Amino acid sequence: MRTSTTTTSSGITLSTKSCRIKFARRFLRSLVEIKKQKRSSASSSEEEICKRSKRIKMAAYSSMARAVGPRMNWSRALLFKLRNRVGYPRLVKKKKRVTVRSNKVSRSKSSVHIDRGNKLRKLVPGGKSMDFICLLEETAHYITCLNTQVKVMQAIADNLSK
Amino acid sequence: MGSHDNEDMGFQHRNEGTLNCPSSGMSTNPLPEKVSRMAMSSGSIFKPSNAPDPFFGSGWDPLVSLSQSDNFGGSSVASQSEFTNPPYPIAMETQGMSSTSHLVQYPSDSSYVEMVPKLPCFGSGSFSEMVGSFGLPECAGISNPGCVANYNPNRDGGIDRTSTMGTQSLDDRQVSEEGALGSSPNGRRRKRVPESSPNKNAEGELNKDMSGESSDYLKEQDEKKTKLEENTAANLRGKQAGKQTKENSQSGDAAKDSYIHVRARRGQATNSHSLAERVRREKISERMRLLQELVPGCNKITGKAVMLDEIINYVQSLQQQVEFLSMKLATVNPEVNIDIERILSKDGNLQNMPITAPQFPSLPQTVLDNELQGLFHMGFDSSSNIDSLGQNASRLKPEQ
Repeated sequence: MRTSTTTTSSGITLSTKSCRIKFARRFLRSLVEIKKQKRSSASSSEEEICKRSKRIKMAAYSSMARAVGPRMNWSRALLFKLRNRVGYPRLVKKKKRVTVRSNKVSRSKSSVHIDRGNKLRKLVPGGKSMDFICLLEETAHYITCLNTQVKVMQAIADNLSK
Repeated sequence: MGSHDNEDMGFQHRNEGTLNCPSSGMSTNPLPEKVSRMAMSSGSIFKPSNAPDPFFGSGWDPLVSLSQSDNFGGSSVASQSEFTNPPYPIAMETQGMSSTSHLVQYPSDSSYVEMVPKLPCFGSGSFSEMVGSFGLPECAGISNPGCVANYNPNRDGGIDRTSTMGTQSLDDRQVSEEGALGSSPNGRRRKRVPESSPNKNAEGELNKDMSGESSDYLKEQDEKKTKLEENTAANLRGKQAGKQTKENSQSGDAAKDSYIHVRARRGQATNSHSLAERVRREKISERMRLLQELVPGCNKITGKAVMLDEIINYVQSLQQQVEFLSMKLATVNPEVNIDIERILSKDGNLQNMPITAPQFPSLPQTVLDNELQGLFHMGFDSSSNIDSLGQNASRLKPEQ
């Protein structure tokens, strides 16, 4: 993880510091809201905790995606998914995915790419509709953002638990 | 500058005269002298090798042409009466010398040259593939310890690439060099040279300083030399030369375009498919390198498959950490008043406070607290995080 900015070949900057600050602010705000909800319910059953943890997880991902902005494929896909999930079931359409450019040329030479590429696609949001090269770029950015996310959440958790 | 041109041109003519002698006894002495001179001007490393001799007999065009350019060391060249490109290797060398990055390739090239005779069949494999197949340990035995230090960083990268990405390695260098050299078509030629000339690593000295200075006039010389070579080598090269000229012209035009141009090496298919494939492979390798830096503990991994596995594992571990932390945050009792204060303070803390990477869920809280306190005054140390994350990643690694 770098505090400075890193630029990929395509010019995508992997800046972590500003990303971290933005994410931290958004996440804290959403966390406070979720906490307020908990206070009102005032029950700490396991189900509640599970629900809350899921909500917190969603909040973390959405705040990270928003902090990143719409410039990355994965953040857009993440926001889209979260928006659909949140509560507009009727709007959830089977979006016609851009067919993954089946790398026919490479398939004969390296099916390794394909297998692992598919695995990676499932992990990275929005990965299904990207070709392998873009997938790698997005993965790099996604990894840096996940890192910041983890660090911020860890700091918050530590602070709250003290 | 002009004097250098004359010098180089003189080399060409002289070489032609000497190399055309069928005497196999022609030592590499005259050439190395010239080479060393060229090296002085171009800062290239030349390594004469007699290895290509058996190849020449086989009439394997790609290698022959390659060795022509590479092996100004001569005896093999001399044996081939058809070889009329004594200037070619030199030209290529000078071309290659102009940028230090080219020098990186020499060790592998020289190793390749040594290995060449042992190859049973070369087929249509590209030069870089051959290099890759021979492996980089050969490079270790190669020359110029003074230059080794400079080679190493690049070589490692090149080694990784050649071992894993075959043709990609030289392509990468090609492309990167092309990009570095900008839109000059001369740059293209220069790039081609190092790849196709393993023999260049021969004896010569490596004057990196010189190479930087001589880049300008070397470009001109290279152009002239390549043109000469192409003209004279028409018999031997045949369609290859034609392809190269085509490529040159294409690359010349392409220089002004914004996209990356790849030059097909001699012996490689030059149809659009393979070129595009190579570009794609280079892109992939570039991004894989970037990912290698991101994922901790992946510096030694060479191989796309293993690297991809590591990346997948790492992403999965990060996602699991997020889930675990969200669970943890859910269980923490909400303290609204304190939250507000913490919100204000956390932003500052996040920048100052060192955060240890969350270990696996089983790790007790006390350990984290201790670590936090220990690191509290060190500031937000990202490197330590990477290390701790690296430990996590290492746990995820099935082996290693």
